[in-house]
Amino acid sequence: MIKVPKITLLDVVIMLVVTGILGYIGYRITVGIHYKWNWSAIPQYLFRIDKNNGGWTANLLLQGLFTTIRLSVWATLLATILGTVAGFFRISKSLFKRLLGRTFVELMRNTPPLVLIFIFYFFVSDQIMSFLGVDDFIRNTSERTQSVITFLFAPPRFFSAFISAAITVAIFEAAYITEIVRAGIQSIEKGQFEACNALGLSWRQQMQYVILPQAIQRILPPLAGQFISTIKDSAIVSVISIPELCFQGMELMAATYLTFECWITITVLYLTLTLSLSLAVERLEIFFRRSTA
Amino acid sequence: MSIYQCPSPNASTNTCDVLKYLIVMLAVLWLISVGTERLGYNWQWYRVPRYIFTFEDGHLAAGPLILGLMVTLQISGISLLLSFAIGLTAALFRLSDSHAARFLARCYLEIIRNTPLMVQLFFIYFVLGPVLGIERFFSAVLALSLFEGAYTSEIFRSGIVSIQKGQWEAAYSLGLGRFDTYRYIIMPQAIRRILPPLTNQGISLIKDSALVSIIAVYDLTMQGQVIIAETFLTFELWFTIAAIYLAVTMTLSVLVNFLENHLSVQV
Repeated sequence: MIKVPKITLLDVVIMLVVTGILGYIGYRITVGIHYKWNWSAIPQYLFRIDKNNGGWTANLLLQGLFTTIRLSVWATLLATILGTVAGFFRISKSLFKRLLGRTFVELMRNTPPLVLIFIFYFFVSDQIMSFLGVDDFIRNTSERTQSVITFLFAPPRFFSAFISAAITVAIFEAAYITEIVRAGIQSIEKGQFEACNALGLSWRQQMQYVILPQAIQRILPPLAGQFISTIKDSAIVSVISIPELCFQGMELMAATYLTFECWITITVLYLTLTLSLSLAVERLEIFFRRSTA
Repeated sequence: MSIYQCPSPNASTNTCDVLKYLIVMLAVLWLISVGTERLGYNWQWYRVPRYIFTFEDGHLAAGPLILGLMVTLQISGISLLLSFAIGLTAALFRLSDSHAARFLARCYLEIIRNTPLMVQLFFIYFVLGPVLGIERFFSAVLALSLFEGAYTSEIFRSGIVSIQKGQWEAAYSLGLGRFDTYRYIIMPQAIRRILPPLTNQGISLIKDSALVSIIAVYDLTMQGQVIIAETFLTFELWFTIAAIYLAVTMTLSVLVNFLENHLSVQV
């Protein structure tokens, strides 16, 4: 039997209201504020012709997109390491470690990310980076190393700022990953822990051979979701002038005054990035569900 | 190391652990203050209180930071109510029979949940603001409400879906229409279940409201940036602002815990 879609009253009302709103916005844009659309100016900010070899390379917006991806990847890697350690602290037998873990998570989760970024960024970039002498180290390496560093991280003159931003975002995301790791380990049945005790395994052997291999399957899907969340939170580092996508959008808007085209393009770029990653995460979840069933 | 060698936790090991923890916290604070002083930062805590409160004509007046906190609480309060309204509507649309309603709600959710709040704030302030004539404060409120509304709608939807089918069937057999079923049967039960997550949205909103400083709304974060630009009391002020946010969110957390314990539903 062919299912004929039923048109209800709500359908009609919604379609009328949406058409009305879109029509009103269109009217206000063209007649109210006389906005001159100029979409042809946008592609030159996505791609440009490289003078050296005549091919197409990325310009402002795509460079910002790649910086966002690099920042999110490095921040998530660092945050996973820090979050796993803090997750183990949270479920440790020692009250001292549990208190430390709880303090870290509650402090990071209850302050706004913008305030945390201002505090940590100034602290990490001013104090720690100059203490470690990272800038001088990068400047003294060879041409080849510098091009590898540019591909993996950022051009040498932005390297210190990029690393500081990555560490800052990592510290903030680690609090959420701590909870994911804790929930994953605590979801393993108590019988597994009791069997490890009965066999006389130490804590390290218990985690390495029994608990973590099972917990990792439960941790990976939320972790991937947290990676997508990191991509969105990385937009906040634009306030400290890290040249990622949102910052490039602000620069573009300031340079060309094409506010509408600029922000619509930025929104579409973020949507493409996160929606494609969400689809990949859904595939990952289905794969894990099939392998455990 | 077998379990027979581990002492079981008792009062004295607990006290030891708490003391160790306090020592570590004090060591971290000491490291921060000594480390920054060695690299040239001059701590001037005595200059901070005048930005919290001042004495004018013999009575207490609020300083810029407290005025900013008032604006933050205002924005968060209005956005919370608006986000409940938007969230409830979106949840009902997603559960309705109408294809257009489900499609609209789905589009709204996917767009809002997959773009950063900063981009949405800029979009509404720079694009929709001039078009619809919305001024700064209300652009911020609108952006925050739309953003939190998406997450609130998922909370509402999960609460409604968690009501057993038997309730719907009983309402149908009693002849109640869809609206009356929601109003008298489903929503009272659903709201009781989702009240803790909904109040968590309030905490989330206070944190996300810090972002409205990027469109120069004079909330707590913006006031802090303005004072720091004048006085360069960077670390003192950012720690003070973080402490104020922590105080507000921890108070709300205590409220959420209280609600969870006293309104817990035996399913």
